[in-house]
Amino acid sequence: MRNKSILSEAREIRLATELIKLGARLQILESGTSLSRERLCKLYKEIKGVSPPKGMLPYSTDWFASWQPNIHSSLFIDIHRYLIAYTDVRGIEAIIKSYQLYLEHIAANQLECVLSLTRAWTLVRFIDGHLLQTVPCTKCGGYFLVHTFELYSNHVCGLCNIPSRAGKTRKVTQAAAETRAQLSAA
Amino acid sequence: MGADQMVAEIKDVNLSYMMLAQQMLRADEAAAIYRLGISQDVARIVESLTSGQLLKMAASSMLLCRFRFDDRLIMELLASHGKDRTMSQSHAAILMAGQPAEAMA
Repeated sequence: MRNKSILSEAREIRLATELIKLGARLQILESGTSLSRERLCKLYKEIKGVSPPKGMLPYSTDWFASWQPNIHSSLFIDIHRYLIAYTDVRGIEAIIKSYQLYLEHIAANQLECVLSLTRAWTLVRFIDGHLLQTVPCTKCGGYFLVHTFELYSNHVCGLCNIPSRAGKTRKVTQAAAETRAQLSAA
Repeated sequence: MGADQMVAEIKDVNLSYMMLAQQMLRADEAAAIYRLGISQDVARIVESLTSGQLLKMAASSMLLCRFRFDDRLIMELLASHGKDRTMSQSHAAILMAGQPAEAMA
């Protein structure tokens, strides 16, 4: 649809710019703004210096169930819910705000950024589409993401009950081995 | 620390807190509401306070801000110095985001 008002177009370009800087894929830009695909592609190239990646968005709800992604995405969706409940921001604005607050938390605690903006956006859509929901942990009372239509009368979150191999990915083990080797060499 | 000094420090903290809160709200209302843990009507009042009102409020001998973690678990998580400190920070953030905002009675 062609945009008639220049002012509203300027607003949309600013929104698209912000989204691209946060790492949004083209599909998010298309749904969040009414700018044409062609213009969005141009804008993307101008900001990132490369063409937007092609292909489908991640569509698996199972990703949100594994340990580390579950904690990160639960935090994001809790922030999002707080903003929806107590402020006026809605829609794509609310997603941007909560994602920025999530990034701040990551930076403040020197964590690895696990949740991308694209995943965060799909997560909100999964919640709206009732594919995922949040349930309170019976031990700590915090809200955590789970699949809808499963039985969770006794849900204990991944932080109260940390699985034995949690966070021990190949990358982490390798890094630990490298530091050990460096220490013994010195 | 003498009682006089304590009252003076409380006034200092009050003034810094109120000014910071106002600045945060003016810069980005939504994010500030999340960070401060207050509701929108409280936010609007704080935002609209004049400098004079701010000074009068800060001159109280009582602290204007108070602990946000009534929950014992959040307190323990935030104060923990265990091995997975970053994880307990995330855990505390999830719990605090789930708490209701401070509202006007």
